[in-house]
Amino acid sequence: MKINRINTSLSMILKMLLRRKIVLILILLIPTVFLSIVEFTSAERVIPFQLASVGEQVFINMPEKSISFIFFSVASAGFLVSFLALNLIQKNHKANKRLILCGYHPIELLSSILLVLIVTILLIAIYIGILTIAFTHVDHPVSFTLSLALIGFVYGSYGMAVGSLVKGELEAILLVVLLVNIDVGWLQNPIFYAGAQNQVIIEFLPAYFPSQASMVKAFTNYSAISASLYALLYGMIFLIISMLVFFFKMRTK
Amino acid sequence: MILKLENISKSYAKKAILKEVSFQLQAGTLTGIVGENGSGKSTLMRIIAGDISANQGSIQHNGRTGYCPQEPILFPEITVQEHFRYFSAAYDINSKTLSLRVEELLDHFNYRKYYKTRVSNLSGGTRQKLNLSIALLHEPELLILDEPYNGFDWDTYLKFWDYTKGLKEKGCAILVVSHLINEKKKFDQIYKLENGSLK
Repeated sequence: MKINRINTSLSMILKMLLRRKIVLILILLIPTVFLSIVEFTSAERVIPFQLASVGEQVFINMPEKSISFIFFSVASAGFLVSFLALNLIQKNHKANKRLILCGYHPIELLSSILLVLIVTILLIAIYIGILTIAFTHVDHPVSFTLSLALIGFVYGSYGMAVGSLVKGELEAILLVVLLVNIDVGWLQNPIFYAGAQNQVIIEFLPAYFPSQASMVKAFTNYSAISASLYALLYGMIFLIISMLVFFFKMRTK
Repeated sequence: MILKLENISKSYAKKAILKEVSFQLQAGTLTGIVGENGSGKSTLMRIIAGDISANQGSIQHNGRTGYCPQEPILFPEITVQEHFRYFSAAYDINSKTLSLRVEELLDHFNYRKYYKTRVSNLSGGTRQKLNLSIALLHEPELLILDEPYNGFDWDTYLKFWDYTKGLKEKGCAILVVSHLINEKKKFDQIYKLENGSLK
């Protein structure tokens, strides 16, 4: 593994990502649109919701609008990072294979992609974190931003796994949008979750732990360490799957 | 001997594409493989380049390999200059050698004015010039060219043959695959790929 190859690849991947106008437009637009919609549509009524990762009987009362701001910031971070990770791993698949035929090791290329993904996750988490704080009060802004990075990590790894496994661009986007929609966009909504008939299914979905961590850090002084560790574990599983598939698909024959 | 193929076979969904293909290339030779569309030429090239594996048989390479795929396989968002930098990292070429090689290729194939242009803004012919230049960047000892002059104008076509002549003289073994080979006298040997077998 050669550091200069990773550096070159890292700078090229970043250039390619930043030169795709749609990427910048999505990053700037999606969180702003999501949070603006919450601002204009959500009610101020106070509702109780369960912090299941803290304890079975731990409920807190918060205005619906505040809960929705946190929920939609988590959803937009998950969707954005997942889409970008898919893009990173799937786009230019043939040209990446050519680089490997010319001498790059698949791990060198994968390391660069992972580094770009980490940078992307951090930037998106900080941007959405700042934006959310501008809209609503958050008790622990730094920890909350880290929880956004966690959803980015889990869904970024999911996006990479989908991108490695599925060849078709449209099919892969559908798989990303479908899970993000069902999981982050619907089932993890605290309002829905508190009244759900079968919470076990929801707890097994990828966004459960990062969503819980973000709610805990946004509104309470409870610890989110356990939820964060589980989120990291979940993300690692997706990441390992994506790395193995990428490696076996890209290695020279 | 630069390349030796022994009994290479490849099937897709039980359909045999290549049947026990064997041949070898010596240094400083130009070999052609012709065949109709869908005869398995590109599959054979991809196997030799290491892109896909054969179901059976063995391949021996000796020396640096340059592979020019049939369709330009490039990154649309980066420039010609950035492609040279990216692929030079893959080939482990130092910056001094790289600048000499780049100068030579840009001048020979006459596309210096596009040096800082992104691939997405290049014409098909210029993309093909870059596609070929990437295969030539590290001065390969074995050059595998799959329909290399697709999209070239007449002048570039002549320059292509001029360049391959120089490479051959330096000892490079060149394998050209095409559905149509006009310049038969330039080749040391021409094989025909028919029903998955070389003739």
